[in-house]
Amino acid sequence: MGAINTIEQLEAYRQEIAAGIKADLPTVLVCFGTGCQANGARPVAEAFSDIIEEQGLELNVNIGIKTTGCHGYCENGPLVALQPQGILYLKVKPEDVAEIVEKTIRSGEVIERLIYQDKTTSDMVAEYSEIPFYKHQHRIALRNIGAIDPTNIDDYILAGGYSGLVKALGMKPDDIITEIEDSGLRGRGGGGFPTGTKWRSCVAVDSDVRYVMCNCDEGDPGAFMDRSIMEGDPHSVIEGMIIGALAMGSHTGYVYIRDEYPLAVKNLTSALEAAREKGLLGESILGSGFDFDIKISRGGGAFVCGESSALMRSVAGEVGEPRAKYIRSVERGLYDKPTVLNNVETWANVPEIIMKGAEWYAGLGTEGSKGTKVFSLVGKVNNTGLVEVPMGISIRELVENIGGGVLNGKKFKAVQTGGPSGGCIPERLSDLPVDFDSLTEAGSMMGSGGIIVMDEETCMVDVAKYFINFLVEESCGKCTPCRDGLPRMLDLLTDITEGRGGEEHVAMLEELCDLLTWGALCGLGTSAANPVLSTIKYFRDEYDAHIFDKKCPAGVCKELITYAIDPEACTGCRLCAKNCPQECITGERKEPHVIDTAECIKCGLCRDVCTFDAVRIS
Amino acid sequence: MEKISVKIDGRTFEAAKDQCILEVAHENGIYIPSLCYNSEVASSGGSCRVCLVEAHQGGRMRLVTSCNYPVRKGLEVKTDTPLVHRIRRGVLELLMARVPDSEAIREMAAAEGPTDVRFRLDEGEYDRYKCIACALCTNVCADVVGVFAIGMVNRGADKKPDTPYGKPSDVCIGCGACAYACPTGAITMKEKDGVRRIWGRDFDMVTCSVCGTPYIPQAQVDWIVRTTGKDRSFFDKCPDHR
Ligand SMILES: Cc1cc2nc3c(=O)[nH]c(=O)nc-3n(C[C@H](O)[C@H](O)[C@H](O)COP(=O)(O)O)c2cc1C
Ligand code: SF4
Ligand code: SF4
Ligand code: SF4
Ligand code: SF4
Ligand code: FES
Ligand code: FES
Repeated sequence: MGAINTIEQLEAYRQEIAAGIKADLPTVLVCFGTGCQANGARPVAEAFSDIIEEQGLELNVNIGIKTTGCHGYCENGPLVALQPQGILYLKVKPEDVAEIVEKTIRSGEVIERLIYQDKTTSDMVAEYSEIPFYKHQHRIALRNIGAIDPTNIDDYILAGGYSGLVKALGMKPDDIITEIEDSGLRGRGGGGFPTGTKWRSCVAVDSDVRYVMCNCDEGDPGAFMDRSIMEGDPHSVIEGMIIGALAMGSHTGYVYIRDEYPLAVKNLTSALEAAREKGLLGESILGSGFDFDIKISRGGGAFVCGESSALMRSVAGEVGEPRAKYIRSVERGLYDKPTVLNNVETWANVPEIIMKGAEWYAGLGTEGSKGTKVFSLVGKVNNTGLVEVPMGISIRELVENIGGGVLNGKKFKAVQTGGPSGGCIPERLSDLPVDFDSLTEAGSMMGSGGIIVMDEETCMVDVAKYFINFLVEESCGKCTPCRDGLPRMLDLLTDITEGRGGEEHVAMLEELCDLLTWGALCGLGTSAANPVLSTIKYFRDEYDAHIFDKKCPAGVCKELITYAIDPEACTGCRLCAKNCPQECITGERKEPHVIDTAECIKCGLCRDVCTFDAVRIS
Repeated sequence: MEKISVKIDGRTFEAAKDQCILEVAHENGIYIPSLCYNSEVASSGGSCRVCLVEAHQGGRMRLVTSCNYPVRKGLEVKTDTPLVHRIRRGVLELLMARVPDSEAIREMAAAEGPTDVRFRLDEGEYDRYKCIACALCTNVCADVVGVFAIGMVNRGADKKPDTPYGKPSDVCIGCGACAYACPTGAITMKEKDGVRRIWGRDFDMVTCSVCGTPYIPQAQVDWIVRTTGKDRSFFDKCPDHR
């Protein structure tokens, strides 16, 4: 079918798609996100196609096997979900496919080997919705991901897509903005600025041209929610942007997307084409007389290009460097025209808010942070991946219920939130609700929603050094405090971790933090103090141990630790001696071995290979 | 032109709308240091951060760079507070650590108090012992001269002005405006035997027919003739003997 010219036609089309589907027939959903493809999802999907063709199985005729976007559980990929059973299989190999078809699809039998097993309770869980990783989630921005084929617009429409747009077309632009304001939606790109307020101030500026933009730069290492949405449900972003454009009277939109996201670019490109074909983008959308189209702008990938003024300069073909925002971009943004820039996840929420209403959305979350947030949970936890939960969930719930607790039963020490310029929050504040204001108050921030779990073997000074080093490398070098202050901060932190720290080091770090916070030009510099200040605030004892006792309590900082073999535990198996690159471990077979600390380079190989846990760090 | 009144350090001044704080202050004899800004250069400023001042508006205070913050109705500026001096001193200490050889920076820092540098001095792998990466030179070349011969390259601490790929630029006209504008004198321009050397390229100079002084690069004359249509014979004599 070609262009859809009226709202009624869209509804008719939706029913037409629904009628073509025999609901109770099995559907195989193979995750085709970047993570699962890297783990070999393609051969799995091909094996399904082959076998289905071969056996002439009566699978769902319209949909067949579907390739979907990322379920957020990539470490267990390739993922295969089966409908209507709601079963999720993990780490599926092409060899498993025949058995899945034979047993599960034909006879409804669950293959135990392929289902989730809880690492702590050893419970086996077959049903998607019962796996702890998913059970506690509330998916709005990720609503369709894993359930629809992102390259098929019919899938999105069938799932209720573009209904928000239909509703918005029947509203006054001003009322659309009011709805977003009342929902309490705040920007998901890091700043947490109220989205409705931003839209309202853009409309207040007199201009005949306005732009809406989507930020898919996602430079935070470890964060991949924006990529997953773009890959797995690009229409949700497109629909959000059309609604925003309608509300603000904009006719051109831009999506700024990093070059390192080829699948996201591909899926977005095909989604834009499909939307144009269906008359959902371009001239007179759904026959309404409203024109709007979206262009893609690809970014070179520097972290700072995600900052709004740098991003707009980059789209306009200038150097992607921040500039002072004394004139806001809602007044003078892209090409000096009033511009609203929102994050991918922010846009993806918009259609649902319009569809279900501000009140529904505002009923989720906390007083100051409404709705849900997608987090990327990584680090020393059992389940890692993308999770969407209501704002205000506690750190403990995230780590224990969803994350399944700390890896290997180690002690939980802290979480780092907010990306490279976020901060660390200690275990004792685990009941802290995760929302914009609580995190900021605790000396960290929401950022894009990265959460790194740290255990007792993480050195907090080393963590601060790691993030400052990242920022040193990403500083654009335009302003003095950031360009020259961050390397000095790194010098000081390096001194501390290498045993050269003096009493004055912490005070000097604090001074530099003050200088960056007040003096830097853009958000990269003004928030760069967080990793240092939060670790000083909560883990001062670790700084002191490094400086005064010349010790690294977590046993991480090489210059401050020594490796030694515990004679009680050593069985004299010689394994460590064989692996030591310095050949500095000696001892008779079946006798306790000894490390020559003068020769030891602290590579830790001996500790890794010893099966008796006899190599100790002190 | 629309005039508005703005308060700086307790005194009220008339200013043109959209004029920057720094200019209004300087016009009225209030000192604010600056390095990367030049009022003749449209895109200059905002980078060195020595001109930060307190901007109070609508019950809110921010530190802003006075060289590019436009004055607005109801704005109150404070240039002489403990916070302003603390941050300024911090910026200057970092700059001294970066370019210990720069007299200009040291003098500016001296006005703020002691000039000891607690940070490890930087030994860059390239020649940047006076450059503070403020981009005024590249802005002058682009905005005022209009030839775009140099640009800022690299990022972070390695940022510096340079010609494309570090090779002698064939669009540079050797005018020296960049060297003249540089706040720290970091750009070397040497003249010997009627030849000027700048940015790694030698420029033959045109000699004044009256006094015999080599006074302008041939390349600059060619460029002016080409872009303005001025008569070539105009450059036979130096400005003093025209
Ligand atoms: C250094 C830096 C990097 C940023 N990177 C991103 C990014 O990758 N994605 C993003 O959406 N916002 C990023 N931001 C925030 C943007 O400047 C901007 O606030 C955001 O895109 C606005 O959208 P929102 O209101 O929907 O969050 C970054 C900000 C800074 C200072
Ligand atoms: S704070 Fe850092 S990244 Fe931002 S403009 Fe300054 S130097 Fe560039
Ligand atoms: S590997 Fe462990 S048990 Fe074996 S000799 Fe080395 S320290 Fe002893
Ligand atoms: S000398 Fe060359 S680089 Fe310097 S301002 Fe003139 S043209 Fe530009
Ligand atoms: S050479 Fe001078 S003007 Fe150019 S960036 Fe360096 S300090 Fe600034
Ligand atoms: S790519 Fe399949 S779960 Fe993430
Ligand atoms: S003079 Fe204002 S920032 Fe440099």
